[in-house]
Amino acid sequence: MTPAEENAAREQAFRRLLRERFGVEGEADAPLPDDGVVVDRAHHVDLAKALHKAGWQLYVTCAATHFPAVPGKKPTDATTPECFEVATVLRTVGPGSHTARWRVKLAVGESLPTLVPVFVGADWQEREQFDLVGVHFEGHPDLRRLMMPEDWEGHPLRRDYAIDTPHAPWR
Amino acid sequence: MAVNESERSFQHPLYEVLERFPGLDLATTQVDKLLTWGANNSQWIFPMATSCCGIEFMAAAASLVDLDRMGSITRGTPRQSDVMVVAGTITVKMAPRVKRLWDQMPEPKWCIAMGSCAISGDFYRDIYSVIPGIDVAIPVDVYIPGCPPNPEQLMAGMLRLQEKVNLKRAGLWSPPETRPETPKTIEPAIKRLLHQGRDRRIDAAQIDQALSLELPVVDLPPLPEPAPEKGEDE
Amino acid sequence: MTAIARARAPRPDPFLDIDSYDPEADLMVMNLGPQHPSTHGVFRVLLYLDGEIIIKAVPYPGYLHRGVEKLCEKLTYAQITPIVDKNDYVAPMLNEQAVNMAFEKMLGVEVPPRALHMRTLLAEIQRVASHLLWLGTFAMDLGGALGGGTSVFMYCFREREAILDLFEKLTGCRFHYNTHTVGGQRHDIPAGWAAEVHRVLGAISDRIDEYEAMLSHPIFLKRTKGVGVIDAQLALELGLTGPLLRASGVDHDLRRDAPYHIYDQIKDLKVAVESDGDCLARYKVRVVELRESIRISRLLVDNVPEGPICGGRPIKQPGQFKAKAGQVYVGIETPRGELGTYLIAGGGKMGDTPYRLKIRPPSLHALAVVPYVFPGHSVSDAVAILGSLDPIMGEVDR
Repeated sequence: MTPAEENAAREQAFRRLLRERFGVEGEADAPLPDDGVVVDRAHHVDLAKALHKAGWQLYVTCAATHFPAVPGKKPTDATTPECFEVATVLRTVGPGSHTARWRVKLAVGESLPTLVPVFVGADWQEREQFDLVGVHFEGHPDLRRLMMPEDWEGHPLRRDYAIDTPHAPWR
Repeated sequence: MAVNESERSFQHPLYEVLERFPGLDLATTQVDKLLTWGANNSQWIFPMATSCCGIEFMAAAASLVDLDRMGSITRGTPRQSDVMVVAGTITVKMAPRVKRLWDQMPEPKWCIAMGSCAISGDFYRDIYSVIPGIDVAIPVDVYIPGCPPNPEQLMAGMLRLQEKVNLKRAGLWSPPETRPETPKTIEPAIKRLLHQGRDRRIDAAQIDQALSLELPVVDLPPLPEPAPEKGEDE
Repeated sequence: MTAIARARAPRPDPFLDIDSYDPEADLMVMNLGPQHPSTHGVFRVLLYLDGEIIIKAVPYPGYLHRGVEKLCEKLTYAQITPIVDKNDYVAPMLNEQAVNMAFEKMLGVEVPPRALHMRTLLAEIQRVASHLLWLGTFAMDLGGALGGGTSVFMYCFREREAILDLFEKLTGCRFHYNTHTVGGQRHDIPAGWAAEVHRVLGAISDRIDEYEAMLSHPIFLKRTKGVGVIDAQLALELGLTGPLLRASGVDHDLRRDAPYHIYDQIKDLKVAVESDGDCLARYKVRVVELRESIRISRLLVDNVPEGPICGGRPIKQPGQFKAKAGQVYVGIETPRGELGTYLIAGGGKMGDTPYRLKIRPPSLHALAVVPYVFPGHSVSDAVAILGSLDPIMGEVDR
């Protein structure tokens, strides 16, 4: 099998897995949306486990994003509530390496089950996202700040955090 | 947070020995020259290398430029060093450590701010975690602009420092280095301390905190009155 | 994969409870860093020692957190390139390429063939410079007089200066080049540059033999062989990539496995794999990569295709591009592993700037291995392991 074919087969397997077991809408072989597929929060750990078993063995990254509340265009329109999104990326190793990524949407106050039992590399990544964005990871063995000092207030990568927040006495 | 320059002494045990013996004090000028010559040609460097400038510092210490020929060798401990070269961005988390290492260096000591991050924070200046220049924490003798400065520029900075040491030891006045500021078209969001347009409460809080840290702070200028806003007068 | 199926020793527990440890033991806590010559920057690790043996290591990164991701949210796509130069300051070319590839994928910009060829060439020459710097500092970590020590550092920096001169001729900068842009390159190859590249790289490839001879010293072997073994399973779960993963026996290289630029045209790309997973294996992998990168660069520099170096108008104005809402992930192979860029673009009014830019630094994953590998070693071995991981704190903390 050439690397390109290997990659295509992986993509096919990923689509089937998502559609048959994790409730993603669409035909089994139809292409996934360009901006990544959204998975329900309850399926997050199961999906990671299934992918790990099926050959996506390399933990690549996770990225949390903050979406502040957006008021409607007209006064009568409903406000879009504040929410968070956590994207996870895994990879297969060897020729034709395939990237699997999915997103989980979280409301304010909701926490995401941790991936540390599946991939130990999720430990620092989740700590970093907790530190900078403020997403809580449920069941994480050691959820502390990674980048900022322990006594820092706020989560800098939130959209409503001012970039030039002063910090006495140093700035 | 100004730092008192006059507190930085030049006491040396040799002076005390010389003072005890009558007649020997005649020789102090010669000994002074000897010490100055020694001080100038054995400036051991403590590299406070945090980021990119640290690599250029290593390049300066390596074979092509070779700082060793000026007698400047690199030491890993502050207790054996005379010059601290702050090479790289200093963050809020790192600044107390830099201050502590500076306090551990024996007098007389000198500081070189290498690169625009150490001088003013560069484009990280307005970011929540970066301090706007190392001179808010420790006094700086020589500024070397660049991002990062070439090894040759670091060498030129070392030569400038030697001139400064000469003048200082001879008891002569040396013009203070001016901090090279990047010309900015846009006013920075975070103003320097005691700037006219700054919130006075933040100034006061910062000065209070600085005093509680027992930094050598003396004679702060009085807080300037904020410019009266036109809208309120009418 | 046989390497993964291999039986592995029980992993040390990174969350070991010190209070429940043997109360009669000779316990001591030692703080290494953040200002320590062997930590390659500002990295702090708390070592719990039983006698001279580490039983637990707690790393504290973040002393160089400069908020690059926050800054990138405020800048337009064309303005970000010089900012990310400072992340991995040993291989700035690769940083520029990583973000610009993500932007090009998001904005749908075509890159002309000459620019792609130049990017591949620059990436490979930069890899040589980066591995040379690693070799010098690693030899110095192992001790001044041991196996060459400072001599290797001096020699490696001599060669690295020659490569920096090459880049200076091309871009005008020694260090932070700012030569890539969305859709191509800013600086074209000057006349006579190819001959210079041949001269410099030829000299370096001759001299690598000498360094290898210098470093095949019994003391060097003793300090690296069997020290800091990372098994393949742990490496994969932690997300180790690049030379660290290949030294653990996993045959994975993005240049060959997920080709970008013109790597798919290089048929006989040799990927170095070692199975031991110790410091010596990581050293061997990097030396083979050094030779391979020199070979590829000398191959590429002769047949750069003619044509424009930048698609369309040169990209100079901020706000020239507007992105639609979307998300992309792009990973490239840097000297330290997979440098990924996860880009979330906001549509509409927020189309000029990234909504969120997450940089996946390979060094952060490399340092996450510290709590698993340090226990069981002495402090001097810890320094050797840290050196062999080749962390760059600028990209760990960002």
